[in-house]
Amino acid sequence: MIMSGSATGTAPKLSARNLAMTFDDGTTRVPVIGDVSFDLHAGEIVAIVGPSGCGKTTMLNVISGLLAPTGGEVAWNVEMAHRRPRIGYMLQKDLLFPWRTAKANVMLGMEIRRNTGAEAHNKARALLDQLGLHGFADHYPSTLSGGMRQRVALARTLIHDPEVLLFDEPFAALDFQTKLLIESDTVRLVRSEGRALLLITHDIEEAVSMADRVIVLTGRPTRIRSTYTIDLHPGAAGDRNDMIAAREAPGFSAYVKQIWRDLDVGRERAA
Amino acid sequence: MSVGTASTEAAAPPAEVAPPAEAASRTGNAVRRRARRTRLLVLLTQLALLAVLLGLWEYATYADRQAAFMFGRPTAIFGFLVTMASDGSLFRDTWVTGMETVLGFVVGNVLGTVLGLALWYSPFVSRVVSPFVVALGSIPIIALAPMVIIWFGTGLASKIAMATLSVVVVALVTSYKGATSVDPDQINLMRTLGARKWQIFNRLVVPASLTDIFAGLKLTVGFALIGAIIGEFMSSSEGLGHAIFKAGSLYIIPKVLASLVATIALALALTFVVGKLEKRLMPWRRDL
Repeated sequence: MIMSGSATGTAPKLSARNLAMTFDDGTTRVPVIGDVSFDLHAGEIVAIVGPSGCGKTTMLNVISGLLAPTGGEVAWNVEMAHRRPRIGYMLQKDLLFPWRTAKANVMLGMEIRRNTGAEAHNKARALLDQLGLHGFADHYPSTLSGGMRQRVALARTLIHDPEVLLFDEPFAALDFQTKLLIESDTVRLVRSEGRALLLITHDIEEAVSMADRVIVLTGRPTRIRSTYTIDLHPGAAGDRNDMIAAREAPGFSAYVKQIWRDLDVGRERAA
Repeated sequence: MSVGTASTEAAAPPAEVAPPAEAASRTGNAVRRRARRTRLLVLLTQLALLAVLLGLWEYATYADRQAAFMFGRPTAIFGFLVTMASDGSLFRDTWVTGMETVLGFVVGNVLGTVLGLALWYSPFVSRVVSPFVVALGSIPIIALAPMVIIWFGTGLASKIAMATLSVVVVALVTSYKGATSVDPDQINLMRTLGARKWQIFNRLVVPASLTDIFAGLKLTVGFALIGAIIGEFMSSSEGLGHAIFKAGSLYIIPKVLASLVATIALALALTFVVGKLEKRLMPWRRDL
């Protein structure tokens, strides 16, 4: 993982070059990532979709530095804050600590960085308010619904003002209505601050409605099958950050069908 | 604030919030009232069952002197409880055994829990010591009693040592299990937030282990009491174990049983305190 010291305006925030990952336990070699390259710029939302088991999560772990790739490199162009690059993560599991209230969960990273002044507390409270959790700051996670818990997790991710967000199917466990609302909130909070979001998902409609670009992967060892630049114009009153409007926009279903076809080709070849 | 604006429409997640406060409190009251009634019913049934059992026991030993000698009689046991209470020995013995139990319980659990949690720090060390822990755990505590009396004397210290020994391995194993069953994704989350190892330990591993630690505490209340009483059996001048041993060697079975009643009361009281402590220390657990 290469980390440049100072962020420059035009360079991509995240650049993956010829990433390859092969698991080798001495007896068997399992090539998971074949050859993947892409860029993620500031203010951009890129979704990665692929057939199940194609190594999406492995890719996220390689990109985030939890795993070292066996080939290629990941170059970051983000500032450091408190020894850590300004990157935020969110997974399908909310990973909230049950012994902490909603606000205390949001404050977790601030406490680790010893930034627990009144300003940090106000920010945590404001984020919860913005995510529709006004009045729930002092509730324990066990008293919150799945959607509310994932909103708390989103606030925990956003409180550090990350430049780049890495999301691994964060909304997969939510019911449809809750999912659309939290997707819209996420897109709004990401775009309004010019953050970059890499969204790994198996939900094609989620990918098309949220992202500026969708990268379709093949089965293992995974490569990039195709890349789509999503250009949706949801009506006169429509808002590109509204996931319901995005799904109703002309062109939406054409993208979804095309990506479906791309994934299907992969499945036939694997069978 | 630097997070921009979010929609107001999403600011109130519709189907996710609780029903209006009034309706909620009304149904809440009904639920609470029903729960209280169930609790009362359970308690009454328990008391009735106890009364029936004691009645049968009394009836069976009422006319039969030999049976009364062998098995005691509820009224005779009650009589001994009254005498022991009036001469103060009941309270003194209960106090002594209680002290030994509580001190052994605290020392053993602090020691065991600290060691068990500390093993989380080094998988290598924990793998090295695990067979030794298993070996120590398999020793019947009663087999250690003669040695403990030699090492710690016949006074309070040996009873505390016995109680401690009965507790420490269980506490170590349960707390280690708690520490190592922390969700690895939560550990990764802490890492991505920049946490150092001691921060992961303090803010994640210790609180996450509390549930298992308390399971150990509840289990070891009884173990500590057994340890203390075994210690008193071996050599003592006071305590419930002493009273039981003495009455037993004089064949005064109702007195043995009277002291046993006091022992049971002590065990229940200590378990109650641990339960209260658990509730106090884990306010997020709604099931307690």
